[in-house]
Amino acid sequence: MSSKSLQRKMDRLLTLENQGKLRTSTMNRSVRKLSANVLALVGLALFLLILMSSLAAPLISSYEPNAIDLKHRLSPPGEGHLLGTDQIGRDIFTRILYGGRISMFVGLGSAIGAALIGVSLGTYAGYTRGVLDSAVMKLSEIMMSFPQIILVSILVTIAGQSLWNLILIFILTGWPSMYRMTRSQMLSIREQEYIQALQAFGIGSVTISFKHMLPNAIGPIFVNITLSTAMFILQEAALSFLGLGVPLEQATWGNILNVAQDLNILRNAWWVWLPVGVVITLFVMSVNFIGDGLRDAADPTQVG
Amino acid sequence: MKQDTIVEVKDLCVNFYTNQRCNRALRNVSFSIRKARTLCIVGESGCGKSVTANSIMQLLPDLGRIESGTITYHGEDETVHIEKLPRNGRKMRSLRGEHIAMIFQDPMTALNPVFSVGYQIEEMIREHLELSRARSSEHAVKLLRDMGVPLPEQRVKEFPHQYSGGMRQRAMIAMAMACAPKVLIADEPTTALDVTIQAQIFELMLALKEEKQMAILLITHDMGVVAEMADDVAVMYMGNIVESGTAEQVMSSPSHPYTRALLDSIPVLGRGKAQNLEPIRGTTPDPYNRPEGCQFEPRCDYATEICRHQMPPEEFVDTSAGDDTPHMVRCFNCKELTHV
Amino acid sequence: MIPFIIRKVLVLIPMLFVISFLIFLGIELMPGDAVDFMIPPDALATISQAELDVLRAELGLDDPFLARYGNWIGQVMKGDFGYSLQSGVSVRDLLAQKLPATIELSLAALVISTLLGSLLGVVSALNKGRLGDHVLTVAGMIGVAIPQFLFGLVMIVLFVFQMELLPVGGRMTPGNEAFFQRLDHLILPAIVLGLSMTAGVMRYSRASMLDSLSKEYIRTARSKGIPEWRVNLIHGLRVAMTPVAVLIGFRLPILIGGSVVIEQVFQWPGVGQMFVAAVRSQNTPVIMMVAFFSVSIVLTASILVDIATALLDPRVKLS
Repeated sequence: MSSKSLQRKMDRLLTLENQGKLRTSTMNRSVRKLSANVLALVGLALFLLILMSSLAAPLISSYEPNAIDLKHRLSPPGEGHLLGTDQIGRDIFTRILYGGRISMFVGLGSAIGAALIGVSLGTYAGYTRGVLDSAVMKLSEIMMSFPQIILVSILVTIAGQSLWNLILIFILTGWPSMYRMTRSQMLSIREQEYIQALQAFGIGSVTISFKHMLPNAIGPIFVNITLSTAMFILQEAALSFLGLGVPLEQATWGNILNVAQDLNILRNAWWVWLPVGVVITLFVMSVNFIGDGLRDAADPTQVG
Repeated sequence: MKQDTIVEVKDLCVNFYTNQRCNRALRNVSFSIRKARTLCIVGESGCGKSVTANSIMQLLPDLGRIESGTITYHGEDETVHIEKLPRNGRKMRSLRGEHIAMIFQDPMTALNPVFSVGYQIEEMIREHLELSRARSSEHAVKLLRDMGVPLPEQRVKEFPHQYSGGMRQRAMIAMAMACAPKVLIADEPTTALDVTIQAQIFELMLALKEEKQMAILLITHDMGVVAEMADDVAVMYMGNIVESGTAEQVMSSPSHPYTRALLDSIPVLGRGKAQNLEPIRGTTPDPYNRPEGCQFEPRCDYATEICRHQMPPEEFVDTSAGDDTPHMVRCFNCKELTHV
Repeated sequence: MIPFIIRKVLVLIPMLFVISFLIFLGIELMPGDAVDFMIPPDALATISQAELDVLRAELGLDDPFLARYGNWIGQVMKGDFGYSLQSGVSVRDLLAQKLPATIELSLAALVISTLLGSLLGVVSALNKGRLGDHVLTVAGMIGVAIPQFLFGLVMIVLFVFQMELLPVGGRMTPGNEAFFQRLDHLILPAIVLGLSMTAGVMRYSRASMLDSLSKEYIRTARSKGIPEWRVNLIHGLRVAMTPVAVLIGFRLPILIGGSVVIEQVFQWPGVGQMFVAAVRSQNTPVIMMVAFFSVSIVLTASILVDIATALLDPRVKLS
C-alpha cells in the first residue's frame, strides 16, 4: 500500500481507537476475513447468480434449449430472442442457461469425484506410508507426466463421447493432484505429537487418519475442489472445441462456444459465441475468487 | 544528557495497526544507551522489547509507526533525530550498519540462504567503506577470524546452511562489526542456541564491548543473561518500562512487583530443590483490551485502589549512585514494597 | 553433477517402459481397429471378410497382445514408430515434418510467458496493495479464467477481421518461407499462447516474491543500510527465483496441452494439430507416438528442473 494512503488509514484507526469505538471482533476470524474480502464476495454473488439462473432456467426462458426454428436462423439479439439465435434458430440465451446446468455439473461433479478418490487415498496412504503409498505415488507420477489434454483425448476416444464418460475421465485424470495435495498435508500433520498420543492409545490407523487428521486438512481440500471445478469447466470447453467433449446434441457451454470454429459465424455473428464465452470466463473467475478467498481466510499468517 | 550517551530514547510511542485495531505497543518509553556499557531490556514475549530495538533502526513493519517521542543519535560530529528520518532514506541507511548495527534472534533465518557468508559480509563493507573488492574480501576474512571462526579463508566462501548455529551467529556478529559501529543492538541473540554456545557468544560480545568501547543494547527475556551481561537494566511490561537502573540497583533491590516476580520465578543454580519458585499468576492481558490503570495491576499482589485507575508516574527511588543512573520505578506502592 | 543426471535418467527408463505399456494398452482398448478406418465406408460393402482378415494379418493385428507390444517397443527403440494409417507416411517423418512448427510456437510462448510473467509478478509484489498491483491481479484473474481458444478467437476477430493487420491461420504464405517473412503468422498464436500462460506465472512469481520479502533476511539486509533496490532485487528476488524456475519447468505439460488447442485455433501445422486429427480418425501409430513423445518431454523437463534447482539454491545437494 502506498505510504500516504497507509498513513491515512492508520490515522483513521487511531482516531477511532482514541474515541474507544473499536472493539475486537468476536466473529470467527476466518469468516471475518472472508467477509472483508471484496473479491471473494463478488465471486460468491456472481457464482450464485449464474447457478440460480441456470437452475431456474424454465422460469426465466420460455424457449426449449433444443427447439429448432429454421425461420429465424442467426437472428441478432432482440425481437423476442434476448441474445439472438444460432445457425439452426435455437435461442442462445436459453441454451446458455440450460448449458450451464450441464457444464456446472461436469465441473463440480468431476471435482468432487476426484476429491473423493484423491483425498481418501491421500489421507490413508499419507498417514500409513508403506507399500500402498509408494504404489499410489508412482501411479500418480505416471498419470501426471501426461499432458492433461492428451491423456483426456485418448481416454475419450477409448470410452466414447458421452456426458458420464467425460465426468468419469475427468475424475480419473483429476485425482492424482488431489492425492498429492492431501498426502503432503498428511505428512506434515502426522509429525504432530497428538498423533503419537493417539497411536500410544492403540487407536487404529483408519480412525486416526480419517477422524483425527483429515479435519485438519479440510481447508486446503476445499480450496482445491473449488479451483478444480474451474479447471474442469475450462477443460470441458476446450474438449468441445476439439470435438471431443459432450455430444453436440446436449447444450453445454463448451458446445455452444464450439460453433465459433466456423469462420463465418466468428466473423458475422458475435452473439453466438461471445456471450457464452463471457459467461464461462465470469463463472470460472467467480469460482477462483471464492477459492482464493477461502485460502486467504484459512491462512493464519495473513493479517486481516 | 550525560557525556557518554550515544542513543537517547525519550517518550517513545509506537503503534501497530492490525486486525482493524490499533495496538499501542510502546507507551512513553525512555532510556539511554551509553558508551562501553550494556543496556539489557528484559521482559516477557510481546512486551515490546523487539519493537524498541526495531524502532531505533527504523525497521518496524509497514503496519507499525512511531507516533511520538524522540530517538536521538549522538554521533562524533553530529546529532541525528532518527524518528524524523524517512525509513529507507539515504541518511537512515548511512546510520544503519555503519553507526548502529544489529544482530537477530535466529541467525539461520536472518542470513540469506542463497548467498555465501563472505558475500553478505562484503556487501556491508562495500556499502559503507570505500574498499576495493580484494580489500573488502580480506577484511571479511579478518572479521571472521576475529570473531573466532576457524579456517576463515575457507569458510568465507561457504553458505549459511554449512555453518553450525553458533558459527552462524559469529558470522552475523562479524557482519555487524564490519564497519566498527558505535552501537550494537542484539535482539535475543542466543535464544536459538545451546547453553554452552550462548556463553561463548556472550563472551565474544563482552570482549568486543571492552575492546571497541562499543555500546550494546541487549534484548532478552532471561534474567540469568541480565545478571551476567548488563551494566544497566530496563524491565518492560506491556509496552512500558516499569523499572530501570544499574544492574546492581535493579537486581539487588528490585522495587517493582513485576521485577520481583520475575526474579522469584527463576531457579538459581546450586540451591537445589529447596528453593521456592514463584510463578507470576495470571497471564499477560490482551493488548487490545488493556487494564485501565497500571498494566500489571491484575496480576499484582500489592495492587491498591489507585493502581486500577492510573498508570503510575516515573519515580526515582535511589539516587545514591549519582545522577548518571537513577533507579527509576513506576509503581505507587514501591515504598511499601522495599520494606517488605 | 554428471552422476546425478545419470541416476535420474536411469530412474526414468523403467518409468518410460511402464508408460509405453499403458499407452499401448489404451490404444488396444479403442473401438475398431486400423482396418476399419483405412477403407472408405462405401468400399467396405464390396470387400469380403476374408480380404479384411488378410489385411489384418498383414498389418500384424492378429498377433497376441504381448507379442504386438514387444514388436512395437522393439521398433520404437530402433526409432521406428510405424506408419500413419491415413497417409502411409512413416510416423518419424511426420514428426520431423511437424515438430519444427510446434517448437517454434512453444518456444516463443514460453519466452513470452516466462519473461512477462515473472517481470509483472515481481512488479506486482513490490507494489503490493497499490493500484498497479490490483490492476495486474485482476488482469491475471481474467487471464486464468478465459478459455484459451476463446482468447485466440477474440484476437483473430480483432487483429485479423477488424484491423486486418495479420494473416489468418497457417504458418507461412507460400513463396514467403524465410523466418522473417513468416513472422507475421507466428505473432498472433505465440502471443495468445504466451499471454494465456503469463497469468499463471505472474500469480505464482508474485506470491513467491512476497514470500521472500516477508523473510527475516530482508530485515537483515535493511539493517545493513543497503539501498532498497538491492534489498528487493538482490536479496528478495534471488530467493524467489528458485520456485519460479521450478514452476516454469512444471508448466511444460500445460504448454503442450495449450499448443494442442492453439494450433487448432490458428490452423498451425504442428504436432498438436496432427494429434487432434489422429484422435478424430483413430490413427493409432500417430496417437501413440505423440503421447509417448510428450511424456518423454515432460519427464526430461522434470530432470532439468532438478538441475536448475540445484544450481539456483546452494542448500539443495545433488544426491
